[in-house]
Amino acid sequence: MTKAYPFRAIALAALMSVAPMSTALAGKADNTLNVSFSEEILELDYNYTTKREYIIISDLIDDTLFSVDPETNEYLPALASGYEYIDDRTIEVTLRDDITFHNGQKLTAADVAYTYNWMIDPESESNAGATHESWLESVEAVDELTVRFHLLNDYPLAIRDLASRVRIRPENTYHVNGEVVRNAAALEPVGLGPYKVASFEPGQELILERYEGYYADSPKGDPAIERIVIRTIPDIGTQQAELMSGGVDWMYNVPLDVAQSMRATPVAEHLSGPDLRVAFIVLDAAGYTDPEGPLTNQLVRQGMNHAINKADIAQYLVGGSAEAIHTPCHPAQFGCVTDIANYEYNPERAKELFAEAGYPDGFPLDLWAYRERPMAEAIAADLELAGVDVNLRYVQLESLNQARANRDIPAYIGTWGSGGTADTAAIASIHFNETTDRNLSGDAELSRLVQAAEETSDQDERLAIYTEAVNLIADQAYWVPITSYSVNYLVSPDLDFPLSADGLPRLYQASWK
Amino acid sequence: MFRYILQRGALALAVALVVSFATFMLLNFASDPASAIAGEDATQEVVERIRQAYGFDRPVLVRYFEWLGGVAQGNFGESYYWNKAVGQLVLERAPVTITLALSALFVTIVIAIPLGAMAALNPNSWADRFALTFAVSAQAMPNFWLGLLLIILFGVMVPILPISGDSTWQHFVLPAFVLGSSSVPAVMRLTRTGLIEVMESDYIRTARSKGYRGLSLLTRHAMRNALLPVVSVLAVQLGQKFGGSVITESVFAINGLGRLALQSILGSDIPTVQMLIFIFAITFVLMNLLADLLNAALDPRIRIG
Repeated sequence: MTKAYPFRAIALAALMSVAPMSTALAGKADNTLNVSFSEEILELDYNYTTKREYIIISDLIDDTLFSVDPETNEYLPALASGYEYIDDRTIEVTLRDDITFHNGQKLTAADVAYTYNWMIDPESESNAGATHESWLESVEAVDELTVRFHLLNDYPLAIRDLASRVRIRPENTYHVNGEVVRNAAALEPVGLGPYKVASFEPGQELILERYEGYYADSPKGDPAIERIVIRTIPDIGTQQAELMSGGVDWMYNVPLDVAQSMRATPVAEHLSGPDLRVAFIVLDAAGYTDPEGPLTNQLVRQGMNHAINKADIAQYLVGGSAEAIHTPCHPAQFGCVTDIANYEYNPERAKELFAEAGYPDGFPLDLWAYRERPMAEAIAADLELAGVDVNLRYVQLESLNQARANRDIPAYIGTWGSGGTADTAAIASIHFNETTDRNLSGDAELSRLVQAAEETSDQDERLAIYTEAVNLIADQAYWVPITSYSVNYLVSPDLDFPLSADGLPRLYQASWK
Repeated sequence: MFRYILQRGALALAVALVVSFATFMLLNFASDPASAIAGEDATQEVVERIRQAYGFDRPVLVRYFEWLGGVAQGNFGESYYWNKAVGQLVLERAPVTITLALSALFVTIVIAIPLGAMAALNPNSWADRFALTFAVSAQAMPNFWLGLLLIILFGVMVPILPISGDSTWQHFVLPAFVLGSSSVPAVMRLTRTGLIEVMESDYIRTARSKGYRGLSLLTRHAMRNALLPVVSVLAVQLGQKFGGSVITESVFAINGLGRLALQSILGSDIPTVQMLIFIFAITFVLMNLLADLLNAALDPRIRIG
């Protein structure tokens, strides 16, 4: 959830009532989409960055071998025209023959092999490499348009990873005159995407122009907008004013109160899209903090699930398209089955379960949280209502991380964005494998299931394993799932901006009405 | 005089050292830079890898003295957040903040001194009350609020000025007014008090008896003495403008040192915060020194050293 600015939102809305209304035509008139971000954009090479804003920009500048259809979660050919498993540990990928980089150079297998081999080389120190180094051994260019990926082990999510992380660069991009230059593509990346960089001032402004040589039949389609100007405007109030005066056509990650106040005006349209981030409470079922503690009792954990009014939290505290969840993953993710134990909001039932577990007068609980203060306080209040004596420990993230690593946390409110990946693997592994300190379940069978799903290629089998794992988590109530999130946008009424099911804003799909 | 300047220079250095030490300790104890760099969804392994790669696992005192050693050789280190030399980063951003600070000081002078003089020459009149009301309002209004009002007024209702960015001189008009107006009350009231006092002094009566009246009496005789404390305050205010433009730069999306400071603090970018605090502390002390020297130059009775 982003920071709220209630006072300023109300003030601006009040001032809006006396401001002359004019429709923002500047962007439409010259076919330029003016985008504002609160975050500073400091570099453009997504192989070396992680933040959401960088993904949005990289999607414009770069392309990947495959693409994921956000509606069906199917993998579509993009730079690659197809792939074939030669054996369990060798994938042969064929490239399209009509693709050129923004400098006009043709894409070849050598570029792909170079990029991947460099990404998994520890010397590269890249962010993208971390996703691949555990399963990819090397990449080999067989001929001009054929690349072979040699895997270290069976890895069913290889195509998913090839569709999501590494951005292909021309051969030797990161090696200039024999020297390693890790930031060689930071300011002027030579990409393969639908837009090329026209100018870039880090922290201030990025201007992108439509790349006329972009290949036909791309899953990204044929972009309608000619120019995209992305500016960093840290203050949300200033962004609002720019939107009102026509200086901005698209605002991202808008606080809910601001979005709602602007929705009432004719100068902006409020869109609320989904986000794969979910919020939940992790409970120390293993008894790391207290081997005899109440949280080791399944009935107590189920009672806590009954005690919290998730629907109200989702509707009033997160807002937009956020929904209460009962799954330990986002329902839009592959493998996140929803036909599992669902503990409806019922404080009386919670008290009954606590009493049945031997805690008729409730029990004390240290509940840790590091963000979403209003949500944390609402959760604490709900638990108090059911008889739990909550000591809300609201701390910095690093303090929580440290305490969790030391096994000092009986329960904490966490969130996870899955890196925008619509697959349960992206949330299950980090929270339930046997090595992570986030796993407070102490359930070896659950860890085994999560690991098995990672090592299986067959999608039906993976679905079956995740079904079993998700059911186990819900039955045992290892977590209290709370809510999904939403992302709020304010856009010019002239702009047609489709929302995607995975919550990633795809600016190349925008067009003028 | 020279000895005095040397003494004050040494004081500036001492202040900067104390401030840098306190900042370094506070930043390291109040936050975990490795976690800040790794981000919210990073695994513990990634955080540990960053901790080792950047050397955050070493004792904080060792790291402080290493940093200090680098500074002594003119090396302020590399920014974790921007991945470039901190010195280069500051040099890139400084011109914008200097422009903004000087523009703001200009705004302060052209508003506060005439307003103060008007109030002093007509004490307890409507002009005096108007000036006081203006001063109280300017003091009571937070920078971000005034900034938003001006943005709505000149960016939306009467769109004649740009409201974000720093690429042209027009971009500085609104932020300079916002930043400058916060100093108007102090300068205006000092001007008023100083002038009222001076206007009642013997030498002004003598000047009047010689036939001096109006503007010439004010500028040739009264102002020179009345503005002595104002000069000191202006110098200090200029120091504050350099370090205090964080909010204004954020509201108007100006890419200066204030915004750099804010981003660095939020991102636990210790080398950048260290250098900025160092610069702000030294600037502040030097501005005070400048105020003393200016006072000495303006008033021959003041002797320094």
